[in-house]
Amino acid sequence: MVEMNLNRRQFLKLSGATAATLAVVELGFNEKKAYAKSKEFKIAKATVTPTICCYCGVGCGILVHTKNNTVVYTEGDPDNPINEGKLCSKGTTLRQLYTSEKRLTKPLYRAPGSSKWEVKDWDWMLDTIAKRTKDTRDSSFVDVENGITVNKTERIASLGGAALDNEETYLLAKLMRGLGVTYLEHQARI
Amino acid sequence: MTKYVKYVDVTKCDGCRACMVACKNWNDLPAEPTEFLGSVQSHVKTTADTWNVLQYIEHENGKGDLEYLFRHSSCFHCTDAACEKVCPENAISYTKYGSVVIDQDKCVGCGYCVQNCPFEVISLKEYKDKNGKEYRKAHKCTMCTDRIDEGLQPACVTTCHTGAMEFGNREVMIQKAEKRVKEIQGRYPNAMVYNPEGVGGTHTVYVLAEKPSVYGLPENPKVPTSAVAWKDYAQPIGKMMLGATTMALVGAFVTNKLFNKEGKGLDENGGGSDE
Ligand code: SF4
Ligand code: SF4
Ligand code: SF4
Repeated sequence: MVEMNLNRRQFLKLSGATAATLAVVELGFNEKKAYAKSKEFKIAKATVTPTICCYCGVGCGILVHTKNNTVVYTEGDPDNPINEGKLCSKGTTLRQLYTSEKRLTKPLYRAPGSSKWEVKDWDWMLDTIAKRTKDTRDSSFVDVENGITVNKTERIASLGGAALDNEETYLLAKLMRGLGVTYLEHQARI
Repeated sequence: MTKYVKYVDVTKCDGCRACMVACKNWNDLPAEPTEFLGSVQSHVKTTADTWNVLQYIEHENGKGDLEYLFRHSSCFHCTDAACEKVCPENAISYTKYGSVVIDQDKCVGCGYCVQNCPFEVISLKEYKDKNGKEYRKAHKCTMCTDRIDEGLQPACVTTCHTGAMEFGNREVMIQKAEKRVKEIQGRYPNAMVYNPEGVGGTHTVYVLAEKPSVYGLPENPKVPTSAVAWKDYAQPIGKMMLGATTMALVGAFVTNKLFNKEGKGLDENGGGSDE
């Protein structure tokens, strides 16, 4: 014996739904058109800006699609000879660099020995970095070692990132050598 | 209309997972925190928020050597799709390109498609409406039909840097797959084209390095006979004889009987199954 598996409420709901569908058909309602309207193509009317991926030294080209002042989509740039539209899993997440809730939008400072981060403004940040760099350098500076002029500090190290271009790397090396930094490294060599 | 195929040559895949991320990025799908599975694989299988999953399989081949096999897994876009046949609301349909898509507005969340898909790649997502009432909708890979409409290739194919995935005319892609299998048989004697006939062929076609079972795929997937009989014969005749409205009601009842395998059907009051 077959038992009726639909309870009364479902029965009513289903027949209501069907009646509504029929009425819609009879009125000549164009479902397709309404659907197309409600779901606009995601990157339609977006502004497209080419950029370079910030993550690794390959430097893939990426197209950034923006709309209403936010990034709606990113995709590999097919015209870029480096990656020809392809991307790795990390480069594909580039959009989150802008949209993520975890994104830092203000400089944060953690004092030595503290476990708390404090919000500071850029002026304070840059001044403090400059001051401490100079203090550390001056207090640790070695002019002569074993009779040889060395003009160095061993208390500061510099680690360059893979996304730096030639010019940035040149400037960074110039500044560090000017300070007497000998531990001058680059991510790509580690 | 030309039918299209997403071609996946698993032997060219390096497991970078860009396809997984590209799918999330295009379809605005949220991340899902997952448990460590004891391998590099991130998710057990596809879910309602993760439409493709990269499989990582450690396989001992015929010579006793370890093969590390990868596979981009997502919907197959079957020519005879079980999900489409069992849906009581006609919420699942074929597009002119050959892809199989779900209309979430029509989906009632009964889950028959989930229970009947031979490849287990379609899933339900739970939502809450503003009164806190729960409802469910089925989701899966759309083959990026919205992109195809605009002349773009699927997002996952676009990003694949090894050429493991390609998108194009069905015949061309199948020829490509057959040619590729010949090239790799020296290294992979069990290599084959996976385009199973039991579901009328598919629109995601694989070049597999090993037998389907190694990838957890059915060797001979089939659309349940009852689904074919129901969708292709009984329903159209019923509509003719009883009219569409009545047939829709009978239909909801019959599909519940035939395709609700787990008793998780239309159970607003927990009464989905009467076993
Ligand atoms: S693979 Fe499953 S979900 Fe995809 S079309 Fe085939 S039956 Fe439907
Ligand atoms: S075809 Fe589109 S929806 Fe399907 S897995 Fe690829 S990116 Fe995701
Ligand atoms: S993008 Fe290509 S190479 Fe990378 S995991 Fe996906 S199929 Fe494999």
